[in-house]
Amino acid sequence: MSSRSLSIGFTGLLLACASGYQEYPVLTQSEPLTARDARIPRTAPAVAAGVTPERLVRARSEPQNWLTYYGAYDAQRFSTLSQINVENVSRLRPAWTFQHPIISLVASLATYGFEAAPIVVDGVMYVSGFDGYVWALDAASGKLLWQYQHSIPVDVALCCGNINRGVAVAQGKVYLATLNAHLVALDARTGTKVWEQTFGDMRAGESATLAPLVVKDLVVVGASGAEYGVRGHLDAFDAATGVRRWRLYTVPKAGEPGSETWPGGNAWATGGGAVWITGSYDPELDLMYWGTGNPGPVFHGEPRAGSNLYTNSVIAVDPDDGKIRWHYQFTPHDVWDYDGVNEMILFERDGRKLLAHFDKNGFFFLLDRTDGSLVRATPFGRVDWGRIDDSTGAVTVLRTPTPEGSQICPGPAGAKEWSHAAFSRQTGLFYVPVVEACANFRTDPAPFKEGMTYLGGRADVAGNPQIGFLKAFDPATGREVWSWRSEHPMVGSVLTTAGGLVITGAPTGELLAFDARDGRLLWRYQTGSGIHGNPITYSVNGTQYIAVPSGWGGWVKGFAPELLGASRGSALFAFSLP
Amino acid sequence: MSAGRIARWAFFWSICSSITGCNYAKLARPNVLGQLHPDLVGLVNFLPSIDHPNEATLGRLIGTGGLKEAERDSAGFMRVRVRIPRDQFIWRPSVVVMPESGVLELEFSNEDPVVHQAIVASEGTKQFLDILPRSRGVARIRLDQPGMYSFGCPVGNHAGRGMIGIIIVRGDTPDEARLDRPPMPRP
Repeated sequence: MSSRSLSIGFTGLLLACASGYQEYPVLTQSEPLTARDARIPRTAPAVAAGVTPERLVRARSEPQNWLTYYGAYDAQRFSTLSQINVENVSRLRPAWTFQHPIISLVASLATYGFEAAPIVVDGVMYVSGFDGYVWALDAASGKLLWQYQHSIPVDVALCCGNINRGVAVAQGKVYLATLNAHLVALDARTGTKVWEQTFGDMRAGESATLAPLVVKDLVVVGASGAEYGVRGHLDAFDAATGVRRWRLYTVPKAGEPGSETWPGGNAWATGGGAVWITGSYDPELDLMYWGTGNPGPVFHGEPRAGSNLYTNSVIAVDPDDGKIRWHYQFTPHDVWDYDGVNEMILFERDGRKLLAHFDKNGFFFLLDRTDGSLVRATPFGRVDWGRIDDSTGAVTVLRTPTPEGSQICPGPAGAKEWSHAAFSRQTGLFYVPVVEACANFRTDPAPFKEGMTYLGGRADVAGNPQIGFLKAFDPATGREVWSWRSEHPMVGSVLTTAGGLVITGAPTGELLAFDARDGRLLWRYQTGSGIHGNPITYSVNGTQYIAVPSGWGGWVKGFAPELLGASRGSALFAFSLP
Repeated sequence: MSAGRIARWAFFWSICSSITGCNYAKLARPNVLGQLHPDLVGLVNFLPSIDHPNEATLGRLIGTGGLKEAERDSAGFMRVRVRIPRDQFIWRPSVVVMPESGVLELEFSNEDPVVHQAIVASEGTKQFLDILPRSRGVARIRLDQPGMYSFGCPVGNHAGRGMIGIIIVRGDTPDEARLDRPPMPRP
């Protein structure tokens, strides 16, 4: 065949395949999907402009509002509101429900869970959902005021689920940490973007799910991704302009303090220690308390001999310079996925500034939060991976993952998941959602590849009994005061109020109210989908509300595989008295 | 072509066709070549550079309508034209590449006798477009970050039947947000 006939044939082929684009008349132009929702005024009252750093420090003196992720910097999840109380809670009924459909390639295929904590400022509620959504609602009626959706790439690497735990609100802005590890500042009045910064590398396996923490003039966020062997970090940005202020790595490089807890070579570079739950803050000491996640690879410790600082730790961080002032490691050389990220609850007893932490490893730690010294460590769930001396904190490891598989308690979701405990200033007790699900832990080493999961094994909960408890603990003794048993692991956060109530949700969908003194179940309401989020309380025009996101999902395989197929949902309920 | 060369070619072809690994050679059949669309060829050439962890999504589910890179017009907007061929429930191309983040105009031309719609990822809120039969509709979207985003037709189950598309925004994480560590092995 001559070159001429080849080129003729090729041209003919091209002609045959030409696109044949039809130049019909242009009849339509696109519009925002929200423009097809006639309900939305697309503007909210300018209440957030007045949320100053000083108001955030005194958040508990505004019980009508829920100003931060935990309600206040101390992470107590305690409200002084008492209109709804042990006497009348049996009459509680839904005031409104907000729902949003899921139209998304990511959310429909990834495991979505509604895990947020709504923020309430003077009658306006700000809440985040799946796939980059933020909604401003009228907190008294549930009416949608504006909606924002950050465009989440469908190719984000997620540890566990397509979820977000909430926004932060201050100085007229709403801050959102997105699944692709961007920090977005929105105008709180209109829901339009003011600035955006990248704080994680999606292609290296980083993502973000936590609610940002506003401290002074900073917004502080951490990225997820220890399952992908990232190097964990905490990032701070100027709250007004978005200018980057500092980054703190939770795993030191060779030569830096803590590097002696890592072997030579590059183990630190894939060392994990991701910060994926919001920290707490003591304005008097001017210290933030952040928990750090598991090391990488998760289940295989050989490539990272040593205690692996600062993974599975609490780090006390100076907000001004992003430096670690002290640390305490809950699980040295973790090989069970027992992240140390769970909330750091700040409280005082006998004039002492303390920090309480219910770790995934099954121990209740009490620390002096001025210097990180241990006050006491006591077990709060079923534990057989090791022992921790209750006064010295010395750790004795009893069981580790093996190539053949090893039965160990608790499982990889911990004796308590990330879902938060509460501290009642009224009873002086802690209320803790407890998971009892042991697992078979196996090592199965594989080489590190950036952007791919770096587990070094697996932990299978399936086949083991999975139950749960809501437990009350006395910090004076570390002992259990009462316990309520659930057929399934308890993975909703706890709220406690001056109405003598303890409120939490069940994975089967019931919102539950207990008597804080004795654990008597006083009221329940079926929301239709499992509760894996944060109930909060607030009031508008003298009416107290309890709000809870209902929407089962997240890393269900890790704590309740028997509920993997349970009804999904995406509804926010608000309850009040008739 | 001489008779000898034809015979040698036919012999090679018959041997090769009997081997599974020679599916590539079968691509040269006239009835396959007749179906090859320039956009599809573009997709096949493009995928190996980007699809390592995602080849299942892109190559098998979404890639059937081919790929086209958006072009910049004189005003600096990125533009791309997307056909909706008759009776196929497909976007052609179904993979649109934005060389960088910014504003993109997707012009859809509907050859189907039925109404389609497009819901397209865009910063702040998705964009919604009616595309009437034998007409064009224009969706203007903004995507500020690198990554892959979706668009689809929400009418009936047109998306499930094939009208799902992907917009790829090229680019990478800025240096200041990347991890401070040595270069690591990639898949």
